[in-house]
Amino acid sequence: MADKGNDPAVIWQTMMGEMEKGFNSFGNQLMASPEFSRVMNQASGAAAGAQKQLGELMEKYLLAMNLPSRAQLVGMAERIQSIEGQLSEIKALLQQVHHNSLAPEGGYGTTQRPPRTKQPPPEGERK
Amino acid sequence: MNAPTGFDVGSIAERVQSEVQRAIQRSIKGVEYISSSGPSLGSTPKDVLISRGTMNLYHYRPMASEVYRVPILIVMATTNRGYILDLVPGQSFIEFMLKRGYDVYMLDWTAPKPEEKSLAMEDYVLDFIPDCVRRVQQDSGETDVSIIGYCFGGVLSLLYASIFNDGPMKNLICFTTPIDFREMKLFRSFSDRRYFDVDKLVDSVGNVPGDMIMTSFDMLRPASRVFSQVQLWDNIWNDEYVKGYRMMDRWGTDTLPLAGEYFRQTVKNLMWDNKLFNDTMTVGGREAKLANIKVPILHAVAEHDHIVPYDAAKHLITKIGSEDKEEVMLKGGHVSLVAGANAIKRLWPKLDTWLSKRST
Repeated sequence: MADKGNDPAVIWQTMMGEMEKGFNSFGNQLMASPEFSRVMNQASGAAAGAQKQLGELMEKYLLAMNLPSRAQLVGMAERIQSIEGQLSEIKALLQQVHHNSLAPEGGYGTTQRPPRTKQPPPEGERK
Repeated sequence: MNAPTGFDVGSIAERVQSEVQRAIQRSIKGVEYISSSGPSLGSTPKDVLISRGTMNLYHYRPMASEVYRVPILIVMATTNRGYILDLVPGQSFIEFMLKRGYDVYMLDWTAPKPEEKSLAMEDYVLDFIPDCVRRVQQDSGETDVSIIGYCFGGVLSLLYASIFNDGPMKNLICFTTPIDFREMKLFRSFSDRRYFDVDKLVDSVGNVPGDMIMTSFDMLRPASRVFSQVQLWDNIWNDEYVKGYRMMDRWGTDTLPLAGEYFRQTVKNLMWDNKLFNDTMTVGGREAKLANIKVPILHAVAEHDHIVPYDAAKHLITKIGSEDKEEVMLKGGHVSLVAGANAIKRLWPKLDTWLSKRST
């Protein structure tokens, strides 16, 4: 085989690894500065403010058009989800009742669980 | 021209042939990659014991004929999904623990809904965790419970343990858990109190979007996402690499939003005032000092953790009040410490050895 130091694939991978480290380190230095924090937070603060204003405007628009807002739809989804949750609980209960009715007298009414008696293996016997 | 010293014409031909084969494989597999979905994650059989808003409690079905007396409750980080600990069979921490004879429960999170924006630290520490602990006790029939907290799940577990220090916690295991937030230098810079108006942000958006959280994680290694794509293309002929990449990529981009009030408290109390480290942290008016914790504790930290640097985690063991305490530093990063091929050889057996003796 070719010497690893001369293998173009190895050279390429090493170069990529080093470039990644270099870019990350440069980026981290840049981001640690207060100027970066100031600029980043100004930009994200403005975006959040604009998002809030747009949301309020849309709410008014939807109300005027007699359409449900996102919040109302989320509320409805929430209620549907809660009904689904209750249905699955009822289903689980029914299954349990059915399972119990099939069990022999005094038999396996509840799910079988392994005994809680396990001891740690002696030192030196661990895999 | 002569070949430079160290080159062997035969081996170069062999190498070229192998690269041509890989190039062909890349084209075939590249098409497969685009047209197929990733592996199914988090498929270890489980039952949902509680599903309440953002909180879910799972019980994993036992895989051993006999289990240790003390059940385990895993508390996941609030920013991420719990399936990182249950990737695929053979690479699942949950499956490993079940096969080693543990009874495993997990407190996992879903995205908080808009109406859950007022959830606060009090809800997580004084309601969600105690509720899960009660349910685990009820389900297992045991009073004692061991808790494993991953990353910020570790912080929540520490807060719980320091407040409920008279039980029923039997053992505490923290994976990569920060306590000194001064040392999370980039996160501190992003949330610099001179420029970051957390009140304005939370009041504007309600819950802090998952995209924003994911971007802040990505910014810790700004070039890595691009380079990982290049590496993927380079290794796309390798099925194992692609499988691993898809699992981690899916999890990494599946970041959860954070409840607004909880985020506000985290920034103010931990990031700005470093209250957990300074012993001034309170939750719902109750003192949360690390020295109050007296149960056996294991803290696993990663040598190359770029999210929780060692300096942010190293004081945990010294500040804890327990006599039985141990820190273990293992090779790996923030995620590879707990999941993936190396965790199988490093962290998981270490944890099993430590916990089995304390679980009877």
